Amino acid sequence: MLNQIGAVTLLNLRSIPQRAGLSLATIISIALVTGVLLGFLAMSNGFRATLQGTGSESVAVMLRAGSQAELNSGLSSDQVRLIEEAPGIARDADGTALVSGELFVIADGIKRSSQTEANLPLRGVGEQALRLREGFELVEGRMFETGTNELVVGEAVLREFSGFELGETIRLGPNEWVVVGIFSTGGSVFDSEIWADIAVIQNLYNRGTGVQSIRARLTSPEAIEELRAYEENEPRLNLDIQSETDFFSGQAGGTAVLIEFIGWPLAIVMAIGALAGAWNTMYSSVDTRMREIATLRAIGFSGFAAAVGTMVESLVLAAIGGLVGAGAVYLLFNGISASTLGSGFTQVVFSFAVTGGSVIAGMVMAIIIGFLGGLVPAIRSAYVPLLTVHRSE
Amino acid sequence: MNDLTLIRKNLFRKKLRAILLTLSILIAFLIFGVLGAFHTVWTSGGALAADNRLITVNRINFTVSMPFAYWNRVAAIEGVENVAHASWFGGYFQEQTQQVQTFAVDPATYLAAYPELTMPAEQRQAFLDTRDCLLVGTDLAGQYGWSVGDTIPLLSNIWQKTDGTSSWTFNICAIFDAEDDKVPANYAVFHYDYYNEALAFNSDQVGWLIINTTDPSFNDQVSRAVDELFANSPSETETTTEAAFNEAFANQFGNIALILLFVVGSAFTTILIIVGFTMVTAINERTGEIAVMKTLGFPAPRIFRMVLAESVMLSLVGGLLGLGLANLMISGVADAAAAFLPGLALSAQVFWVGVGLAILLGLLTGIVPAINAQRVKIITALGKQ
Repeated sequence: MLNQIGAVTLLNLRSIPQRAGLSLATIISIALVTGVLLGFLAMSNGFRATLQGTGSESVAVMLRAGSQAELNSGLSSDQVRLIEEAPGIARDADGTALVSGELFVIADGIKRSSQTEANLPLRGVGEQALRLREGFELVEGRMFETGTNELVVGEAVLREFSGFELGETIRLGPNEWVVVGIFSTGGSVFDSEIWADIAVIQNLYNRGTGVQSIRARLTSPEAIEELRAYEENEPRLNLDIQSETDFFSGQAGGTAVLIEFIGWPLAIVMAIGALAGAWNTMYSSVDTRMREIATLRAIGFSGFAAAVGTMVESLVLAAIGGLVGAGAVYLLFNGISASTLGSGFTQVVFSFAVTGGSVIAGMVMAIIIGFLGGLVPAIRSAYVPLLTVHRSE
Repeated sequence: MNDLTLIRKNLFRKKLRAILLTLSILIAFLIFGVLGAFHTVWTSGGALAADNRLITVNRINFTVSMPFAYWNRVAAIEGVENVAHASWFGGYFQEQTQQVQTFAVDPATYLAAYPELTMPAEQRQAFLDTRDCLLVGTDLAGQYGWSVGDTIPLLSNIWQKTDGTSSWTFNICAIFDAEDDKVPANYAVFHYDYYNEALAFNSDQVGWLIINTTDPSFNDQVSRAVDELFANSPSETETTTEAAFNEAFANQFGNIALILLFVVGSAFTTILIIVGFTMVTAINERTGEIAVMKTLGFPAPRIFRMVLAESVMLSLVGGLLGLGLANLMISGVADAAAAFLPGLALSAQVFWVGVGLAILLGLLTGIVPAINAQRVKIITALGKQ
């Protein structure tokens, strides 16, 4: 029995070149379906990875209660001082609390891809900001000097927006700034930001001594509860306190899920089209080999062996299609940089990421198309009417 | 038996094959129709914009406010017919997740700026006269089941009142709609004064200005005059046409058009290849018959036309079914999607482009088999048997 199946399968596979056109059509159509699915998944995975890769469990982000985003929040310098005194906050060797009050305003940058203005976050930071971002390093240039119109920009900003090269003078609203450094935080959301001295921004944007968010390093991730208890009992504070990890992964949800919600149905609908194509191909395959199959049956091969041969042919074509699609998406899209409006209402730069999980999902879909497309033709090849075929000679 | 009957019989001689091909063509046109409708709505911000409407925002970014006094100063510029102002309220209803697009505006000039917004005359008057009135778009009202006469509190995730709360109470005294479904009716506006007087911070600031020029030919002149007026001030401005502003905002999400093109392109490449190769195979199978037809006196050009007509017919049947299904699906979700994508519909333009593509697809997939069929030599073909 196994011998029979092996022989028929080999016969099928070896004869694929005779049906090169239709077989190629099946491979390409399945490759394109897999490609579309993986393209969308790569987009959503990339976006998610950027946001989920941002933030630390042991950093607390504090915003005015109910404000939801840094942009909407507003806090006073008194509140920053209260947090510096709070329990659960880590201190350095000198006893200084690792607390950073930061301003968050939006400035226009010119997006390279569309040449139109897009929202860039301009963050006003003090000295402590660096100590609250693990992995911060200057890739080029130096840090801004306090009290000057100098900027450092994240490397993702440089990639997606024009005019932020080192040494360039850039106008944001009425003010001119000089780019003195390029920084990286290892692919996190902060790489999509521009940083400048907080005092300068407070002054230029008429913010007095106010800030918009407070970040604080905790003595341990669990210490956030101590901080929350302190906030509850302190009437001068009215804050929402979250760990930085939660803050950013909360933002990943909407956009990433939306992309997947578009990608999957689209891929499934396209898969139905490819299924029709695969079915058609396998049908022709059985059609053109009618005589061959009938002959095999006549000399004692079982119908089951003929069916398996047809099915394997269909699965092989589908698997090749899936691999070609996955390979093409990987080569063309993996690592490609893109940016979209994140839920902080500013651009988040991310890289397309073709993940192992999504490749498996794509291959499973390809195999399903191959299986369903080959099913009816395979059954048909098992029931080739011997007499009719031979009589028609 | 005329040619058309012959073509139809040929097309459906293998029923399963014809059905499968029609199905895969249908799918591609379904995708085309649905994405085409989505694309129309997505880019309608530019098309819906009045050509004499300009938007002035703070040059830093449109989220940064500008002094209230700018409103009157711009009104004095030559070529300006009407100036309205609006401020983002960041509103939500009861829960933070139930966001409501709400703007604080000057009522009279806002309605003058957007003449496409319609409402009963008495409601219009009530909105102008009532200080705490909320003018609600019909889609938004439908979403929360609000009707005229309701009193609702809206909270702001940005602003605070001097009393420390962030809640404003509104009286819904008017509901607006628009004749064109694509005009968004998913937001609400209210009196600027009612909000400004209670603000704990950032009072006497406005978010952006909406300028109607006396004629589109003044657009350039007016936008330059506005920006020059506030040059070298702490709040410089940037004035663009409404269409350009909307387009730039849509672009913030990324190059949606390119993504749609990729998807529709893949769908069409797929069917082009499937249908193309199948047609070649199908005609090859009929070589003998074609030779017989030639023997019977069918001239080669007629055979060429018949094969081409067969593939065009196939692709039109699939294409029209696909576009029809797309239309059904879109009308099915249009009401549910009105709050996010107002006026979702399969436009006539998308439909006709679809029909054009179907004919093109038919010609492309039919041309090779048609040439093959035309070239069939009676002797060799009949000799094959």
